[in-house]
Amino acid sequence: MSLFITIILLSGCSAGVIHGLVNLALVEPYLDKAIGIENQHMFASGEAKDTSQFWAEYYSYRAWQKGGQLLAGAILGTAIGALFGIVFGYAKNILPGNSFAKKALALAAIMWITLYLIPFAKYPANPPTVGDPETILLRQMLYVSFIAISGFGALGFYQVFRRLKSKRFVAVLGYAGFIATVFVVMPQNPDAITAPADLVNGFRAVSLVGVSAFWLSVGLIFGVLWQKLQPDRVKQARFQ
Amino acid sequence: MSFSKEITIAKSSVPKVALLVLATIFAFGIFEVGFDQGQLFSIVFGEQAYADLYIHELTHDMRHAAGFPCH
Repeated sequence: MSLFITIILLSGCSAGVIHGLVNLALVEPYLDKAIGIENQHMFASGEAKDTSQFWAEYYSYRAWQKGGQLLAGAILGTAIGALFGIVFGYAKNILPGNSFAKKALALAAIMWITLYLIPFAKYPANPPTVGDPETILLRQMLYVSFIAISGFGALGFYQVFRRLKSKRFVAVLGYAGFIATVFVVMPQNPDAITAPADLVNGFRAVSLVGVSAFWLSVGLIFGVLWQKLQPDRVKQARFQ
Repeated sequence: MSFSKEITIAKSSVPKVALLVLATIFAFGIFEVGFDQGQLFSIVFGEQAYADLYIHELTHDMRHAAGFPCH
């Protein structure tokens, strides 16, 4: 069991660090630009003054936030890796693929689509400067609810898929219809976007690349480790 | 004659203790990176943690990059 947990946590943590590194390379320039706009707003409103002391504090504060990319990546990756491991443990026999490595990649693709890509299409990531602090609770509730509905919906249709002897694509179509309905019914993000469109769109594109790199990495690392170590392999005494 | 042989058990399940450990790690990690607004450090630092927002600032960039609503 400890090997089972170790593989799960190690692959999640490693994929999370990769996610953090991709973010440092691709996402940080957009974050700097967005926070730069926030600073200009603060100077204009008188909330802060454009002084050397401000910039000294700002750079130290940004260094703390940027350093956090890797640590937060490791924590988030370990957490999502734990969920990935649980689902893999229950679903490994029905996942497509003739090896555990391929099965892990298939599961990563399914979880990437249901837990990330579809929620992202409804509630895309936003850089700083976008987002009214007054609506944070509502936005968090909408985002988490959508992910939970999509995830549990996929789980429900997986049960249908498992029970069907033929025409299993009906379960996939069922999930597609279900999530399309939820997509239309759920309220929009209430905040107006006032930041420049190229900044917001560019940020969303690199954010998508970063999270996708995570899911690809977790599928690959977990699959290779599981294939190599097979934690569910046990010794049995045979008499002949 | 007896010998030991390794076989693969293809049982689709997760041991209960592992499930509990992994589910706890999942919930804790998601909360800390996606949602903590001082709650964790308030256990030690009290109300001041909600003003300092150390975890929020530490996870700020990843929070945005991973798609969580931040502020």
